[in-house]
Amino acid sequence: MTPAAFRYARPDSVAAAVALLGPRAQLLAGGQSFVPLLVRRAARPDLVIDINRIPGLAEIDILPGAIRMGALVRLEQARCSAIVRAELAVLAAALGWVANPVIRRRGTVVGNLVMHAPGAELPAVAMALGAEYLIRTPDGKTETIAAHDPVPAGTMVTHVLWPRRPGAGGFYEVSRREGHVGVVSAAVSCTGDAVHHDIRVGLSGICKTALACNAVAGVLKAAWPAVPAARALAPALRADIAERPLHGDLQAGANYRLAVAPEVIRRAAQSMPAGRG
Amino acid sequence: MTVDGARVAARIRPRELLSDFLRGEAGATSVHIGCGQGLCGACTVAVDGVPVRACLMLAAQADDCVVQTVASQNALEGFTGAGLTPLQSSFREHHALQCGFCTPGLLVSTAIFLAENPRPARREILEHLNGHLCRCTGYANIVAAIEAVAQ
Repeated sequence: MTPAAFRYARPDSVAAAVALLGPRAQLLAGGQSFVPLLVRRAARPDLVIDINRIPGLAEIDILPGAIRMGALVRLEQARCSAIVRAELAVLAAALGWVANPVIRRRGTVVGNLVMHAPGAELPAVAMALGAEYLIRTPDGKTETIAAHDPVPAGTMVTHVLWPRRPGAGGFYEVSRREGHVGVVSAAVSCTGDAVHHDIRVGLSGICKTALACNAVAGVLKAAWPAVPAARALAPALRADIAERPLHGDLQAGANYRLAVAPEVIRRAAQSMPAGRG
Repeated sequence: MTVDGARVAARIRPRELLSDFLRGEAGATSVHIGCGQGLCGACTVAVDGVPVRACLMLAAQADDCVVQTVASQNALEGFTGAGLTPLQSSFREHHALQCGFCTPGLLVSTAIFLAENPRPARREILEHLNGHLCRCTGYANIVAAIEAVAQ
């Protein structure tokens, strides 16, 4: 298969990449989701801006309140990172579910987030933790936006900021087959001890974009360290979804997704290593 | 770029995929194009030592890179003898291939996998194989072949 014709640019700085952005331009990082769109001609950009040779975007840094990852941090690099394992247990758990080892070597964390396929793993983690993007604007400024906000046209996501969450993290998904994008994915993060603890839940695959499930997290918190049955989580999930339209596609209809989600959340919570929450 | 030790220079269209470039311009027809969208793993090659789906990379992105296909299997396995490499021999002994379409990609990525993880657990081998589709063997013989080399 061959993509439709486009021009190709390989800028060597973020400023040069942003200067090339336009309505018919697309950024290319790992390409593991984007190149399939190109070859199926579901994406037909005039210009592909390859950011892979921009220096300084492949680092994972510890900031006072957050872990910062550049737009070229590969999924497998993050999964194997000691920083991620220590500070972002829920992200480490989720990364093991993304695609397969070869795809993870090339695909990027930021790419998985911004492509934001329904059911994708990392958007669920981003919603659970309240991740943020650093974006570079055409006038050279760096701004911070929430990862669930749309990325403004003409800007480039240069980094993702993950709030530091030492403690336990659990992840679970149902998918059509192992290594395929999730139908429904759930991320659960717990910090603190048995008495004072904070639980966050993110869910992907129920609505078009991932969801923070605060009501579900409240039910989990009340029962912690026990994990309630799925049917006890279902009413809270309904409250978290509120009026948002449900997502359904050829992978799975909306009714199935809604039915299976509480059990997916329960299994994510159950998968957390005991005694670390 | 360098393909299996030979320098290849060509003017290409931006939309040309690495898989098509390797087969068409570089003559590396061991790079099998199965699904063309990154699912089957048959086109897996090493780019600067990292396993990559050649169908999910633009040829332009591999500019100045070192690309290794199954023709570089000796180098990938660090094997200096004659004839089949240990992995190739093991695939043959264990009947880990039938039609052979998936085999080049499997050999390349498994050589890198074993170089990085010489004593993998069975679970790790299965996870590694997750990225490769084989329609002939049912995978059991491939697992056996890899386990035999890993021991």
